Order: sequence, then C-alpha cells, then structure tokens
Amino acid sequence: MKAIYALTDILTLALKAGLLAHQSGAGTHRTSLIIQRTAKALGAVQVEVIISSTNIGATIERAHERETGFRKAPHMGVNFSLLTALDDWLLALEKDQLNADDAQLALDKIAQAKGHYPRSVVTLFVGLSCGAFAALFGGDTAAILITTLGASVGMAVRFQLVLHHFKPFVFASVASFVALLCTGLLRDFTSTPDTAMASSVLFLIPGVPLINGASDLLNANYLNGIVRFTMSAVIILGIAIGISLALRILGI
Amino acid sequence: MSTPWLIELMAAPAALGFALLFNVPPKALWMCGILAVSGHAVRKLVLTMDGDIVFGTLLAALLIGIVAELWADRHNQPGVIYAISAAIPMIPGKSMYQSVQALLGIATMSAEADGTALLVAAGVHGVKAIMIVLALAFGIAAPLLLLPKRSK
Repeated sequence: MKAIYALTDILTLALKAGLLAHQSGAGTHRTSLIIQRTAKALGAVQVEVIISSTNIGATIERAHERETGFRKAPHMGVNFSLLTALDDWLLALEKDQLNADDAQLALDKIAQAKGHYPRSVVTLFVGLSCGAFAALFGGDTAAILITTLGASVGMAVRFQLVLHHFKPFVFASVASFVALLCTGLLRDFTSTPDTAMASSVLFLIPGVPLINGASDLLNANYLNGIVRFTMSAVIILGIAIGISLALRILGI
Repeated sequence: MSTPWLIELMAAPAALGFALLFNVPPKALWMCGILAVSGHAVRKLVLTMDGDIVFGTLLAALLIGIVAELWADRHNQPGVIYAISAAIPMIPGKSMYQSVQALLGIATMSAEADGTALLVAAGVHGVKAIMIVLALAFGIAAPLLLLPKRSK
C-alpha cells in the first residue's frame, strides 16, 4: 500500500529537485521533466510546470485538491555530479525505494555535497587546459607554458570574483584582462605569441549556456534559449573588453 | 591546419580542465577525454579530406552527442556530463581572438586611415567563429534531445 502524501509536501520536494537541476546546468526540458517525474512519483496526478531563466513554478493536482508554488532560481555554478546524483535519486523514488521523508533527506544530502575537486586543483587544470588549447592551435612549447601560467592566474582571479558574487560580465572582463596581461608580458619567450594569448582567455567561454541554449531552441523553448544565448553573448563581450584593454596596455 | 596528428591528443587535457570545473563525477572523466580526442580528430579528418571547418565541427559535435547520449543512457546518467566537456576543445578561440584584435585595430587607428581591411578581417573571423560555435552547440544538443531514450 502506497503512502498518501500531502500535496504541499509533494510540491516542496518537486520544486526543490527542479531548483537544484536548474541551478546546476540542466536545460529547460530536463528541469521540467524532473519536476513532473518527482511529483508524479509521489502521487500527484496532473502536473503543470513553468520555467523561466530566473524562476520555476508548478501546479500539481490530485482529485479535487490543487497546489501551486514558485521558487526564485538565481544562476549558480555548473555541477554535473549533482545532476547525476539527482538522476539516481529520481530513479529510486520512482521505484518506490524512498518514502517522502527519506527522499527529503537524500535530496538535502545531494544539495550539500562538496565538489569532488579542490579549488586549487581545478585552477591548475583549467590553466593546463588552456595550455592544451595553445598546442591544438599550433603553439610551441613555450606558448603552452606561458598560456598555462596566464590562464591559471586568470582562473584564480575568476574564483575570487565569483566568491564575492560579482556578475558574469565583471568577472569575465577582469579575469580575461588579467590572464591576457600575464601571458602577454611573457610573450617574448615564444615564437607564437598570438596563439598563446588567444588561448589564455578560453577558460571563460560559456560552454554550458551555449549548448543548453541550443538545446532549448531545438526543443521549442524559444524564450529560455534566447536568454541563454544572450547570457553567453554578454560574457563573450566581457572577455572581448578585457582582451582589448590588456592589448592596449601591452601596446600590441 | 598543419599541426601533426599527435597533437589531437591534447584535446583530452583541454576537455579535462573544464570537466573538473563542471564537477563531472571522477568515474566519468576518462570518457570525456576519449570523446574530446575522437571529436577533434574527426574534425581534422574532415579537414584533410577537403571538407570545411564548419561542416567538420558539426559532424564531430553530432558524433560526440550521439556517443555521449547512448553511453549515458546505458548507465542512467545525463548525457550532458560527457558531451559538454568533450565539445570544448573545438571552440574557435583563435578566430575569436583575431576578430577582437581587428576590432581593436579599428578602435585605435587614426582618423584618416582606411580601415577596410581591418573591418573585413574582423567580420570574416567573427562570422567564422560564430558559425563554428553554432555548429558545435546545435550538433551537441540535437542528439541529447532527439535520440529516443530507453524506457526506465
């Protein structure tokens, strides 16, 4: 015999799962499915979902009861481990391996899980990743090294700015400025300075919003798709402004 | 693109940095690396067969998207965790940079100078970069969205 849960509790849990997905880099379609599946797994019969770039909401119904709720969904960092854990959680819920209380606890645990990689390691590997870009673009060994250095410094700056809640435009322009300046000051060591400098700012490319934007457009979520593309364009504009300021100082 | 084939292996570290940034589960990292190298190599293959870079990027992105989705679906995971990091090495960073460089040239040239060449350079590199990015984004997104899912 399946337990009957209050609609309010079902809605709270469904919105929480949706919020986590939305803020960790899920596309509109995925977030919507997660809310619907969670609510239905717990006993809602009809579920309607609305998702904009900064809010999510749902109305759920069962017989003559109806409940509606909204949540603000400010943008946060991409977290693919969380998305993976959320998929497992949802599957367990649908197979009736979790009751509502356990599901609530498990969801809190997913939300509070720390990242797998310490910030220093991420900073270094993001730097190396830009160094690898320099190699892919045909740079020499010195170009790879100075790109790695410049991009690591830029990434450290970006982390600090994000921690202080600066908007994407600000951290993109400041971090690209710093990364390009560091790489540019060392450009005499390499015979391919342009490659090194072009690669040093690539850690700022908004890959997830671009691909999720394309995904939203393909799925006819036109408004959210355009919002994501606009967000990417603003970040890229920030990068371009950082680059142009640094190039002026370097006198190139 | 005259870089040697061995350089294609650098797509793996290029993808890995972003995979760590996106907090991809440790168990999924190796697949991100393999997909990144395969995708980048497919694009190079298209280029060596006289294909253009936009078409090559689209083909490579579709391949990454399809493999990522099939693989992830088998393991009940979201396909994006593999596909997005693997797509990153194909970002046209150099074209973007050349476009910004040319725009800066227009901003800083003297009042009488003729900026036609700079404007053309900025436009051509910029449009090329945009086409590659769009091919990449839609190529990755389409299979994740449109491939049929296993019934769970």
